[in-house]
Formats: sequence, C-alpha cells, structure tokens
Amino acid sequence: MKSTVETNYNLELSLIIPLYNEEDNVKPLYLSIKKVVEKLQKSYEIIFIDDGSTDKTFSLLEKISREDKHIKIIKFRGNFGQSAAMAAGFEAAQGKVVISMDGDLQNDPQDIPNLLQKLDDGYDVVSGWRKNRKDKFLVRKIPSKIANKLICSITKVKLHDTGCSLKAYRAEIIKRITLYGELHRFIPALAKIEGAKIAEIVVNHHPRKFGKSKYNLTRTFKVIMDLTTLNFLMKYLHKPLQFFGAIGILLNVLGIVTLFWIACRLLIYKFPVIQLNILITVAFLLLAGGVQFFFFGLVTDLIVETGSRKRLYLLENYRSVE
Amino acid sequence: MKSQHTTESVKYPKISAIVTLLNLENSVEQIYSSLSQTLEAYGEDFEIVFIDDGSVDGTFTKLSQIADKDARTKVIKMRSTFGEASAVDAGLKATRGDIIIYFTGRVRIDPKDIPALLQKLKAGNDLVIGWRSPRRDSRLNQVVSKLFNYIVRNISKLKLHDVNSGILVTKRSVLERIPLYGNLNNFIPLLASRQGYNVAEEKIGQLAGTFRQSRYVKEYLQRFLDIITVIFLSNYSKKPLHFLGFVGAIFVIVGLGINIYLFIYRIFQFGGIAGRPLLLLGVLLLMIGIQMISIGLIGEMIIFTHAGEIKEYNIEKVIGYSGE
Repeated sequence: MKSTVETNYNLELSLIIPLYNEEDNVKPLYLSIKKVVEKLQKSYEIIFIDDGSTDKTFSLLEKISREDKHIKIIKFRGNFGQSAAMAAGFEAAQGKVVISMDGDLQNDPQDIPNLLQKLDDGYDVVSGWRKNRKDKFLVRKIPSKIANKLICSITKVKLHDTGCSLKAYRAEIIKRITLYGELHRFIPALAKIEGAKIAEIVVNHHPRKFGKSKYNLTRTFKVIMDLTTLNFLMKYLHKPLQFFGAIGILLNVLGIVTLFWIACRLLIYKFPVIQLNILITVAFLLLAGGVQFFFFGLVTDLIVETGSRKRLYLLENYRSVE
Repeated sequence: MKSQHTTESVKYPKISAIVTLLNLENSVEQIYSSLSQTLEAYGEDFEIVFIDDGSVDGTFTKLSQIADKDARTKVIKMRSTFGEASAVDAGLKATRGDIIIYFTGRVRIDPKDIPALLQKLKAGNDLVIGWRSPRRDSRLNQVVSKLFNYIVRNISKLKLHDVNSGILVTKRSVLERIPLYGNLNNFIPLLASRQGYNVAEEKIGQLAGTFRQSRYVKEYLQRFLDIITVIFLSNYSKKPLHFLGFVGAIFVIVGLGINIYLFIYRIFQFGGIAGRPLLLLGVLLLMIGIQMISIGLIGEMIIFTHAGEIKEYNIEKVIGYSGE
C-alpha cells in the first residue's frame, strides 16, 4: 500500500539498482558506486534487486552485504521484469532522495552528485541524458530516438532521453507512482501526472563491458499501447465522459446524417425502401453505438469517482504544500 | 471416544490433506481409508479436512461418522455449492500444515500414489501437480482434456500434461499467495508459476469403478472459456489494452479498409453502395474495433486508479533489513 505523505524518511539517499544475471558487473558496480557516495557525506543505502537471476548474481551480492551495512538486497522468486524490480526498490527505499540506475555499468555513478545538485535547484525529478550514447547505432540508438520523439510529443514531457535509467527523484513523488506492466519507461510522464517538476542533465555513458543486453526490438506494439493508455490517462483521467462522449456524439451525428440521407432518397428521389435496407441498418447501428459510448462515459465517471479519490486528494495536497 | 492418537500430535500436523466432495456418498469410505492408510505409511503427522460442498445425498452423514472415529479428520460443510475454489479456500483456512495435499473426490485419483508427489515436492519444487495416467474416465473426457492441455501448453510457459487434474501437493505459502475464486482452481499451477514458484508434475493413477457423470456439454464449453482465462493469466492481466488494443486494431483496420474501398467505389461512380451488405460489414467492424479499444482503455483506467494495491512481484528473500 502507498502511505506516502506521512512516511518518515530515515536516510538522505537511496540507490535502487535492479539486476538480472549481471554476475560480472556486481563487484565493479558496487565499488564504483561506493567511491562516489562515500564522498557525499550523506546517510545512504544501496538497494540491489535481484530479479530472479539464474547466475551467481545473488551470492555475490550476499557476500558484499556481509561486509557493508549500507547494502540491502531484495531477491525475487522469479523474473518479474524491470518495472516490478524498480517498484519493489522504490517501495523499500527509506531515503529522502531516491536514485535509480542500471546494473550493467553503462551508467556512471560519477554523475550522482550532479543529479543531486539539480534536484536541489527545486526539481522533483532529474533525468539523465545520455548525450553520447555508446550503443549500437542501428538496433539501439535509432529506435530509442524514435521512441523518445514519440513519447515526448504524446506525454508533453520535454526530455531528450526518457529511457535513461539514471534518474533522481524526491521520495514524495516516486513513492506515489506504482509501476506495473512495463511502465518504468514512462516514469517521467507518470511523475508529471503527480504534479512533479522535471529536469534533465547530461550524463556519461559507457559501452557494455560484461554480459548481454536484455532489451529487444519486438516490444514496439506494447510501447505504442502503453503510450495510448498514458495519453488517455493524462488527458481524461478526471473527465472520461468527455472522451467517450465525443465518440458517442460523432457516431450519433453520423447516424442522423445517414437517416437524413435516407429520407431524402425516399421522399425526393422516390427510391423503393427495399433498396435502402442496408443503409437503414447502418444508420441504426451508428445510433446504437453512439448511445453505448455515452454509457461507457458514465461508467468510467463512476470508476474515477470511486477509485481514484485518494489519488486525486494526494495530488491536490502535494500541490498546496508546494 | 476418539482414537488412540493424542491431541498434541493432531494440533500441528505437518501435512494437511484437503479433499473436496460433492454428492459422493459411495466414494467417501474408500477415499478416507485409502488416504489415511497411505499417509500413515508415509510417516509424517497429518490431518484430513473434508469439504462437503453442499452435497444433497448422504455424503455429510458419512463424513461425520468418520470424523467421530478419527480425530485427525475434520469436516466442513458448506451451506450450498460454492464451487471448488471456495472449497479449497475454506479448507486452507481450516488447516495448519505446511504441506498441503489437495484433491477433489470427483476425479477418483488413487491416494496410494500421493507419496510420489510428496517426494517430488521435497526434491525442491514448490508445487507438484498430478498427471492422471493411465486415465480411466470416459473417452470424451480424455479427448477434451488432452486438447485443452495441448492448447494451454502452447499458450503458457509451463509444459504440463494435466493442468486441471484436480490433484496437487504444495506448500501452504504458495496457496496463500494465489487468488482462489471462480474457477481459478483449474489454474493453480499457472498462477503459482506466475508468482515465480517451481512447478512440476508427477503421474498418478485413477481408481477403477463408475465415474459420476458430471461432465456435461456445459462443462466442455467452459474449458474453452477457460482458455481465454489462461491467455489473460499468462500475458495481459495488468495491461488489458495490450490484448484488446491488438484485436481492436485489427477490426478497425479491416473495417476502415472496406469503407475506403466503398468510398472510392462510390466517388468514381462505379455504382451505388447503399444496398451493399459490405457497407454494413465495414461499419460494423469499425465500430466493434473502436469499442474494443475503448473497453481496453476502461480496463487500463480501472487498474491505474487501483494502482496502489498492485504488487506484481514476489519477494523470496530480503537482506539488510534485519537490524531495524
């Protein structure tokens, strides 16, 4: 459950790192993070989420955790995906500021102080921008560019690189976001729904040294569907009747125009009715469909009314505090 | 008087057997004696809970006679027939054992084979589903079941031969994480595997004798609706638009294609379209498509507004939080 606003944050900084079969990266990743966060002079924790790795990732993590009290590990029973891993990390985090990053050493922990600096300038979410991306051009960079353009234009969150895992959040914001499905791609948009102020800074990016990339290109359709959902939610979550009502009106208008057309043919052109049977059916179909969409709208109004009151309230509460 | 078993050993048995029964007065004795003998021979402390799911014959009378004689057995009588899933749930709440054996009396499995399932559970699995083999129920049953399982195998990642066999052994913690309502009892292995648990199967025999004629055409049709459940359980449960959006998009594209064709046909004066059934089809497909996408969006909205309650993962172990 999300009981966010009144949560006590015991620490200043939480790092969230999902890992899936990254045995070669665990140790160097830990060392490079450690070097940076020790210099910050802040209380911190590093939460590793083992997303059902089948290699030695977990035992290596366990070994590190025995020597370092700042380390926390959450081990999943199976592979539940990056969204679930990040959600578990965000939920467990006790820091006032939460930083997420990839476990494949492509993000550079050296950027963490800069992210925190930007957060202090008055933002709620600071996203990394991998300006010099060290990935394969055709299979990673191009699709990512297209996806970014698409996500930007639909969610109206102006970021160059929404897919970058290295991000810093204020706990009040990230604790309110629930990630499910593959929504981790859209955290900035979800944060915007919650009223967050979002900024970005350029971060380093290294080519992958160990292990294999776990992304694939076949998810385009799912991304498009998720974008459709987000677009719908961002625009109409608080007024769904406007969306469904608009479709309803459109269908009804089409139906009435068709009926009018039929009437013209019958009365002016003296068509026999039998020739217009199909067209009459079409008109009634459109009218019936149009009415249905009005009911969809009413039902969704009910859903919002009963379901999201708490979320709406939180949103307003947060804004008034601001 | 109760039997020679002391109440202490009954209080916290290691194994709890949950047996659901509906109108099976003739099988009660056989199931009880065979099951209790098998478990006695197995050697661990056990209890047996019979759930009478609203029988209208003498099932309950026979069960209460057994419970009077044997302190290790309990009987729960449902007020009317609430279905398998509710019966299992009731049984789960009435028992304490860490290891659960669940089967329904209807499928007439041979309890003598249960130790094999328990062994497989011990070998590092979290749930072992029985695979009825050789089967002794009706040919039609077997064919439908085979077909159903073939389809399920192809949809889900689990390669099981008898996913809804009605007999399984598992750990209590596994069943407690699984939602049990409706006909979800048929999919316990899929639900468990989705939570990250190891699922295996083991062959189990069926008793000879007459089978209650319980499978009607309605139930076979139910199997096919169940397949839709499997699809959703396997893939789309939290993202309805991934599925409905896909189907809806196909309808919209085909509908749009037909309408564009008719529009061109009309514009270039090839002839009138008002009397063409194709027009009806085009409009209908387009509307169904939009409706499906809309329903998908409504589903997404329901999930989003309840997002705070969603937990899509199952934590096995946590390290570093003990010192708090």
